[in-house]
Amino acid sequence: MPETRVLFRDIDAPGLATIQGYRDRGGYGALKRALHELEPDELLSSLEDSGLRGRGGAGFSMGKKGSFLPRGEMEKYLCCNADESEPGAFKDRELMQKNPHQLIEGCAIASLAVGATYAFVFIRGEYWEIADILDRAVGEAYDAGYLGADILDTGVRVELIVHRGAGAYICGEETALLDALEGKRGNPRLKPPFPAIQGLYGGPTLINNVETLSNVPHIVNNGADWFKGFGSEQSTGTKVVSVSGCVQRPGNYEIELGIPSREIIYGLAGGPPKGRRVKAWFPGGSSAPVLTEADLDLPYTFEDLAKAGSMLGSGSIIVADDTISIPELALRTARFYHHESCGKCTPCREGTNWTTKMLDRVVRGEATPMDLEIIAGVQEKIIGHCLCVLGDSMAMPVGSMVAKFRDEFEATIEAAREAGHGALDHSPLDRPLTTGAQAA
Amino acid sequence: MSAERSKVTLVVDGVEVTADDGAMLVDAAKEGDVEIPVFCYEPKLGGPVGACRMCLVEIEGIPKLQTACSTPVRDGMVVYTRTDRVIESQSAVVEFLLVNHPLDCPVCDKGGECPLQDIAMGWGPGRSRMTEPKRHFRKPMPLSPLVRIDRERCILCYRCVRFSQDVAEDEQLQLLERGASSHVGTFDDHPYIAPFHGNIIELCPVGALTAEAYRFRARPWDIEDSGSVCTLCPSQCNVMFTVRDEHVQRVLARDNDDVDAGWLCDKGRFGFQMITSEERIVEPRVGGSRAGWEAALDAVAERLRSAGERTAAIVGGQTSNEEGYLIQRLLRGALGSANITSVDELEAGLARRLAAPELGAAVPDLDAAESILVVGTDPLNSIPILDLRIRRAIRQGRARLVVASERPTALDGGAEETARYAPGDAAGFLAALAAELGNRRQAGAGTPGRAADEVPGDGSDWAEGARRIAGELRPGKTVIVYGERLGRGPGGDSALASLLECARALDLATAGAGVIGVPEGANGRGLREVGCLPGAGPGFAEAPAGRGLDRIKQGLLDGELDAVVLVHADPIRNLPDGPGWAEALRRARTVIAVSAFDDASTETADIVFPAESYAEKEGTVTHPDGRLQRLRPAVPHPGNVHPIWQVLAELGARLGHETGIGSVPEAVATIAAEVPFYAGITPEEIGGRGVRWQERPAASAVAELAAVPPEQRTSRTNLDRDDSGTLTADRLRLGTYPALWADEITDRNVALRFLAPAQTVELAPSDGERLGLASGDEVEVRSNGTGVRARVALNERMRPGAVFLIEATAAENANALPAELNVEVIKP
Repeated sequence: MPETRVLFRDIDAPGLATIQGYRDRGGYGALKRALHELEPDELLSSLEDSGLRGRGGAGFSMGKKGSFLPRGEMEKYLCCNADESEPGAFKDRELMQKNPHQLIEGCAIASLAVGATYAFVFIRGEYWEIADILDRAVGEAYDAGYLGADILDTGVRVELIVHRGAGAYICGEETALLDALEGKRGNPRLKPPFPAIQGLYGGPTLINNVETLSNVPHIVNNGADWFKGFGSEQSTGTKVVSVSGCVQRPGNYEIELGIPSREIIYGLAGGPPKGRRVKAWFPGGSSAPVLTEADLDLPYTFEDLAKAGSMLGSGSIIVADDTISIPELALRTARFYHHESCGKCTPCREGTNWTTKMLDRVVRGEATPMDLEIIAGVQEKIIGHCLCVLGDSMAMPVGSMVAKFRDEFEATIEAAREAGHGALDHSPLDRPLTTGAQAA
Repeated sequence: MSAERSKVTLVVDGVEVTADDGAMLVDAAKEGDVEIPVFCYEPKLGGPVGACRMCLVEIEGIPKLQTACSTPVRDGMVVYTRTDRVIESQSAVVEFLLVNHPLDCPVCDKGGECPLQDIAMGWGPGRSRMTEPKRHFRKPMPLSPLVRIDRERCILCYRCVRFSQDVAEDEQLQLLERGASSHVGTFDDHPYIAPFHGNIIELCPVGALTAEAYRFRARPWDIEDSGSVCTLCPSQCNVMFTVRDEHVQRVLARDNDDVDAGWLCDKGRFGFQMITSEERIVEPRVGGSRAGWEAALDAVAERLRSAGERTAAIVGGQTSNEEGYLIQRLLRGALGSANITSVDELEAGLARRLAAPELGAAVPDLDAAESILVVGTDPLNSIPILDLRIRRAIRQGRARLVVASERPTALDGGAEETARYAPGDAAGFLAALAAELGNRRQAGAGTPGRAADEVPGDGSDWAEGARRIAGELRPGKTVIVYGERLGRGPGGDSALASLLECARALDLATAGAGVIGVPEGANGRGLREVGCLPGAGPGFAEAPAGRGLDRIKQGLLDGELDAVVLVHADPIRNLPDGPGWAEALRRARTVIAVSAFDDASTETADIVFPAESYAEKEGTVTHPDGRLQRLRPAVPHPGNVHPIWQVLAELGARLGHETGIGSVPEAVATIAAEVPFYAGITPEEIGGRGVRWQERPAASAVAELAAVPPEQRTSRTNLDRDDSGTLTADRLRLGTYPALWADEITDRNVALRFLAPAQTVELAPSDGERLGLASGDEVEVRSNGTGVRARVALNERMRPGAVFLIEATAAENANALPAELNVEVIKP
């Protein structure tokens, strides 16, 4: 099954990243249409009708989120979440690098729809090259009158600012992003109030992912029904999927939602190297509970993956084949979240820390099967108790690994213990405390 | 305050509970006797943050557990706090919190009064499954010279950080690192030096922040709490003394939203060591040698009898209402002298008009005011807790702040407008402001936002500043916080008269608006109201004219006065023209001092009575907003210290003037009988929270306070200077100010001494450049042949042409300069 390219149409065409290249392919037509032919409410309802769901992880209807913003004259904001930091996710990077104007046009139209005068692209600090590309493209858009105090002489004002983050996973959480954008420490805020009501600088704020906003011009150009023609009833449209891990052709593939996951992993990405089998796979980034070989025929949709106990998330598939040790994978996953936890709320701060230490012992053979009970129990105590979803993002995959690969954990403990790694003179107490960064 | 909130009914654990609409669930549950445990929730710090996750509860209709600290109640809400799910989450959070907590309760100061202990016992799993090594930090580290931090005990509720960021706004405390490595600290480990930082100790729900002065001094079962009022400054914060073995070991806030909003400044919190200081005077002295009370009282009685009406008395701000009443009665009744005054002396007519009940604002009025004018005072130095209050009002977005002052204030940063007049020019500035406000009122231009340039001005400097200030003030919705020191000096009466005009032009005699005067002494207002004012008796009753401070000094110098009684007063250090006072006291035939410590003034005294400390005192004081508050003795008197009210009553008796006062309640009753607006007040009515006399029925009996006809438009100050207040290049005009830490309290408390400021001369950078001075230079500030050595501090918010020195420093006191406006700043 081939790719279905909408966002990725002509993605590798030379010059697409320039305003000329983008316009040659019909670029900024949607913005003109939105300015001249559509009222903001029509824009919003067409986005809602399209069924476009957020591509950043939560999968919430974009149009509905936009409709939560109060109407009327007030300072409202649009934030584009370009802090793509989830292990396994690299789709926004390619979208911004190769087609920045598609995003800029999407931001401008979304700003019109909700009445925002200021739009911010919060891009992760590590994407500095991409930020340069975006900056250049934003400059071109300003020069061409697609952005600014009076866009295309309509009297409408939309300013777009590219803001570079300092490199923290938590700043991809929408409220932490707002705090970071305001110049504060990037910590999640308590919700409610939701950003749609009280977001950036206390004003109503729409926050969407790069891919979500990149879809907007296409929906405006082709209509909601066209968009709904792709995908399933609850998962409309196409999706750029980042496939990585034990596959022969890792990379970004734009697919129509609803095709079997096997098609993506085997058909597009070539599957694991010859002679190996898929053992576990994360269907939606490292924060999604893992699935197994038995789940490969699941249609790749929000609803089918949720039904299987996992999630589509940001659409990043990480494949582990049978050469991969699941306990080590669990440790690596936990370490990442331990390192990235902001420390504001208790279950996440202490839970990721504790879990990492326990998994470390498992891998080194200094644990007992009883510890697996505790690890599983701790994950349960994190899930649903945190201020934001970062804690759950560790607890769900780690919990799923312990549950689904219990035998392997026990075997690992036993093998490592027999190999002598667990001798008393290697007590974990002797080892300095490591943060994720040092450990990784 | 806000209008009555409507009520809602909800069900918590099967119990029907009625609570204020909009209340947070955690507070509403208390109405049904349900306790929901919390760590990070503290309404004093602002909105909830939901960080600790301790208060998760189940609410019908919401699938996920919700934080009770951040969920406002709704009618019909059904809440469960003890279901299996909730119990599991509570025990999970406790277990998580203890993952890195050292559980060193047996050696922890917080043990026994520790929320973490209590909640771990009440809601925790009882045992931990954690076997990993815990987080380690160096401990306990000094966070400041007064506070130690033990980061291992910290549970990262970050209340202290929020206090620093959101309440004190000093922004020094930060959460450093992230995740499990998060810890509280300051930039580059600088010590956390800030005037309110002691509050973080009390906010800490574990033993992570401890007071250097209280570490290992007592356990909760050793101590008793004793509520009283701090009289170290006019804030009169409500405090709780922690007493062990008859010694004050600690001072905690006794939250009273009408007074202090639950905060203390560090002076109030750590200024208790002087109570047990070995330097204290603990027995009477006659002629420099120890004496018994009988001998001392006889000696005083004899000297006062011979001095008779040639006696004067100066009462300091720590004096209680009862002491003040009795000393004025001693002078007026027993000696026939009218020369009684306090350090917060005001002209009697002005004092009466400024005390008018409908003009007085209450502290909580600041919360709801639409505009706040701070004029002639820097609250941080003079009434610190109002600084926090005003900051909160601005932060909550309701009030617009304007500041008019000689010297830059700590509140300038949050002000919409600031006006800076030259030292001594307050009268001119306030006259211009009154004229501006009067014009606006006449022009009907008092409406907010009216452009200032629509009102004609005379183009002078004052008029320009006055226009900017006036443009921000909302008629009927403004609170003016003014320094009573505006009333000092030659233009003082005129300045306060103009202030009254401003108040009238702004319609401040309405509910929710008004003025709050900031006295120098803690009980400045009360002392005036009980009659420590020349020309006005208790309740501002007409009284024979007497000498004020300046004329007392002059009388002593000229030999027209024979005796002076100083009660809690050290004029040599604290009043302008210290050298003049020193000379006056030396020449006086008799100086009688009531003082807790030896100072420059007691050195001149013939007879010294030991003074009570505020923790030993029984009586009442009156807050600057008119709230009478009760002082209750927390510790016994040391040595041979007697209650001063008793000493004064006894003295009166020996001089043939029986007061019939044999106890503090009797003194209160006598005052209540004489001060019409205190009528009927009793210690019981005052109680633990105090009562504003303006809000009692008796206040209506003093309509005549306001009925005194306003003086005609006050002419501008007739001081010998050009009207615009601009200064010529070769003249620098000296202003002095009371710095928070420049006083005897700092000197007498070992823990606070490091805060005592060295004399500093502040200059505008342009003046510094002209004179070739840079910050840090050692200079001498000279006037009329006298000099004070100081270090230069250039301050860009200073008005060019003005220089400022600190009053009442232990050395190089600005009060040592003669009362002269023009000075030179020279490099020695």
